[in-house]
Amino acid sequence: MTIRRIAHGMSLPRRLKPPLYGLVLGLSLSVAYAQTPTPATAPATRAYVETLASDKFAGREAGSTGERQAGDYIAAQLARIGVRPLPGRQDVFMSFEFTAGSKDGGSQLVMGNQRFTAPDDVVALSFSDDADVSAPAVFAGYGIVVPESQNFGYDSYATLDVKDKAVVVFRYFPEDADKETKSILARYSDLRYKALAARQRGAKALLVVTGPRSPNAGQTVPITFDTALAGSGIPAASISGKAAAALFGSRSLESVQKEFDTGNPHAAGFALEGVTVELATKLVRERRTARNVVAYLPATSPVTGVDKPWIVIGAHYDHLGLGRNGNSLAAAGDAGKPHVGADDNASGSAAVLAVAEGMARQKVRRRNLAVALWSAEELGLIGSSAFVNAPPIPVNEIAAYLNFDMVGRMQDNKLAVQATGSSATWASLIERANVAAGFNLALQPDPYQPTDVATFNQASVPSLNFTTGAHLDYHKPSDTADKINYEDLDRIAQFATVIATRLLESEQAPQFVKVEQSSQTANRTGVRVFTGTVPDYAADAKGLLLGGVIGGGPAEQAGLQKGDVIVEIAGQTIANIYDYTYALELLKIGEPVKVVYMRGTERRETTLTPAARR
Amino acid sequence: MTQFIRRSLLPLVLALSSLAGVAQQPTTSRESDFLSRIRRLTVEGRRAGEGYWSPDGQSLVFQSEREPGNPFYQIYLMDMTTGDVSRVSPGMGKTTCSFINPQTGDVLFASTHHDPTSKQQQDDELKFRASGQERRYSWDYDPEMELYVRSTRTGTLRRLTNKRGYDAEASYSPDGQWIVFSSTRQAYERTLSAAEQKQLETDPSYFGEIYLMRADADGSGVKRLTNVAGYDGGPFFSPDGKRIIWRRFDERGVIADVWTMNIDGTDQRQITDFAAMSWAPYIHPSGRYIVFSSNKLGFENFEVFLVDIDGTKEPIRVTYSDGFDGLPVPSPDGTRLAWTSSRGGGREGQIYLAQWNHQHALDALAAAPPRQKATRGSGQ
Repeated sequence: MTIRRIAHGMSLPRRLKPPLYGLVLGLSLSVAYAQTPTPATAPATRAYVETLASDKFAGREAGSTGERQAGDYIAAQLARIGVRPLPGRQDVFMSFEFTAGSKDGGSQLVMGNQRFTAPDDVVALSFSDDADVSAPAVFAGYGIVVPESQNFGYDSYATLDVKDKAVVVFRYFPEDADKETKSILARYSDLRYKALAARQRGAKALLVVTGPRSPNAGQTVPITFDTALAGSGIPAASISGKAAAALFGSRSLESVQKEFDTGNPHAAGFALEGVTVELATKLVRERRTARNVVAYLPATSPVTGVDKPWIVIGAHYDHLGLGRNGNSLAAAGDAGKPHVGADDNASGSAAVLAVAEGMARQKVRRRNLAVALWSAEELGLIGSSAFVNAPPIPVNEIAAYLNFDMVGRMQDNKLAVQATGSSATWASLIERANVAAGFNLALQPDPYQPTDVATFNQASVPSLNFTTGAHLDYHKPSDTADKINYEDLDRIAQFATVIATRLLESEQAPQFVKVEQSSQTANRTGVRVFTGTVPDYAADAKGLLLGGVIGGGPAEQAGLQKGDVIVEIAGQTIANIYDYTYALELLKIGEPVKVVYMRGTERRETTLTPAARR
Repeated sequence: MTQFIRRSLLPLVLALSSLAGVAQQPTTSRESDFLSRIRRLTVEGRRAGEGYWSPDGQSLVFQSEREPGNPFYQIYLMDMTTGDVSRVSPGMGKTTCSFINPQTGDVLFASTHHDPTSKQQQDDELKFRASGQERRYSWDYDPEMELYVRSTRTGTLRRLTNKRGYDAEASYSPDGQWIVFSSTRQAYERTLSAAEQKQLETDPSYFGEIYLMRADADGSGVKRLTNVAGYDGGPFFSPDGKRIIWRRFDERGVIADVWTMNIDGTDQRQITDFAAMSWAPYIHPSGRYIVFSSNKLGFENFEVFLVDIDGTKEPIRVTYSDGFDGLPVPSPDGTRLAWTSSRGGGREGQIYLAQWNHQHALDALAAAPPRQKATRGSGQ
């Protein structure tokens, strides 16, 4: 065979025809998005971020004036863009209530003719029930119970009958114990846990004394921030040294404490002979109102017959305010300054506005696009949960949800896309959109993320979260607008616009996939047990309301489902999420336990076998 | 195309835990000097690899496992502007080694879909996977593999080869008139000795040789270009169409090096000498240098390297990431590089894309020392 000489550069290659195999050959394509819609162009994000992250909104704490003003600003932008209130609503604000803090509302303690009052000598604990009780007093040392599963052997109630008594305990844990003992006891010295232990033994009330040998000796316990809406099922208060002295009468509180401070598990409490206390606790929970800002761009043609006619894009716009709620990571010198949250999450809010603006210019939209800016995300996804729990549009008509949380700090072209496991459609959609966008993508299938994407995943909506990840300014006042990478933030908005466009145009809605816990996770052994329950942090329920169960997890296998309220597990009664957390300590991996739960008004039982958590 | 070694080695390579040798970091270059805006191109599916460009850089053809029901690679074409992806191959059986005709845009690939046992093989493989077992994946050099071309204009599929033996790893000449490919057909054309028969059963790649044929061929007029024991494969034409670059394994199938030759098989020259597995070579459109991958730095740590077109210089490392980086293919304008990498995590590769710094490549080559002679074990 002779080889014809191939001339160099002899002819220009013809431009390839666009790939039309599917059409020409009738081949089945693997994707539902064979045709590319012309995506809208997302406009710039900078002005949004700089405004939202300015000092005038003071860190946009949920329920604050700054949050309200930020919400007004967002509403004005939505109106300018042409995004309108949801069908049947007058405006774009969707208010919801939450507990922002608590204060004592006039608790008092009476012993015979001695009366102690708030706030000087009696202060209800932040998780106390409101009650008025009378009971004989019993002293129970530090009031610590280490679960048997820990093989440690420390139970302040081992020799005491506290049923229908008012239990008096020291705050903290034995002061003079060796390090190892302390480290174990400290774990069970939380006041909530002490209250649980007392309640479970039938106590009528809990009184806490900060012993004379402890830090803050004789002081009452400040009411801490607590978003829980429900009490712990027992009246509980801290009392001053003066009130404690009255309780203990002739006994020296200091010498009593000293006996317990060794950590000796055999140190025993005792009845305070002849002392009957009348305790009235009153806690005023500060209810605040925060606002989600939700609007929509209507489809350009009737959605009758369209498979799930809504797409939702969203981001939380609230942040930490002045950082007083315990979420701040500010250095001491910066404490109390506005946490302007430029990346967290003015950046995500800006992305949502930019995508909405781009979509508003789109001539054809087969589906409605809801645009949501959530509040109270920082307090536990409260805003998005309020939306899903009382949905203004049917949740089962939402084809997909796109979330943006911290998208302003892109480095090295890296973008994380999370919750990709929530639908098989995501991979192909993301691949196609990224050919032009060109991000170095990190795909994370797990939808159980600490942001509002988890709320929608729980509601069985195929969801995605975009993020550029955490950084050193996370939850600090230094998360400022000048550190935002605007060029790449704009690219992210553009990328999401392409994905949103395809979602709006596609015939079929993405199919939801419930992400199973990976076998890798299940096979790990660890100290903590895994039950696969997802608590609803915004719940106002006696017991633990399940916001969902993790696919394949023990809870799901036990038949538990979203909406169930767990009231007892392994013999431990559950009044709220904290009780539940402590109850988990008692569980052993692989050992089945009884779970009592309410489904509607029906009380049910099942058996749950805890797995290991990584 | 060189492609195929990836199939035989990559999963195995990734399956082994990270025994990867710690790279000796040259002080002169880093990955970011050569590659910028690195990103993962393919996302969908379990694995993808071997992306080859259309001449205008507007399309990329690649193989991927991404449709339910078939656990083997199929061939896909991606529109690099819109991101649209469509399947080119029939969807049944195994495929590999695609390439776009520079003149017509037609897509060349190897496929076994005509094998009536294809469906059964797919189901068996899926069943095997469902059982939770881990296969030490090995490319089987399926003798049913034949070359096909899909016309972009009419959509028709034409069979180019019809010989028992593995016909694959094919690519076009720049004028689209010629196809160079690798085949094990010689093992099925003659009577093998007992030793050879055993060899065929344990490692048929040993019989792989480079062949040339006309693009419009009907299976006849095939010319064999190599005749050395051991697997010759992954051939591509040089940008001027005057030479062929490929990789040659030693008889044991352990050491491979990059070679070039004239398109009539004469003037065979060895370009690399790492005494390692150096393969998947592709010539940059400037004609000045070659990109290839090698596991010089650790058995399962393949990296992309760079060497001058004549192999006079010591190759220069391009990629710096654990696991697999290989099958580098520059874009026709020389400004981008598509390659296959496991850097995204997991065992399977995906196609990555980056901007290619051609000037830095030239500078690095200019500064590189003369090629060193590999230190080989006894018997060399």
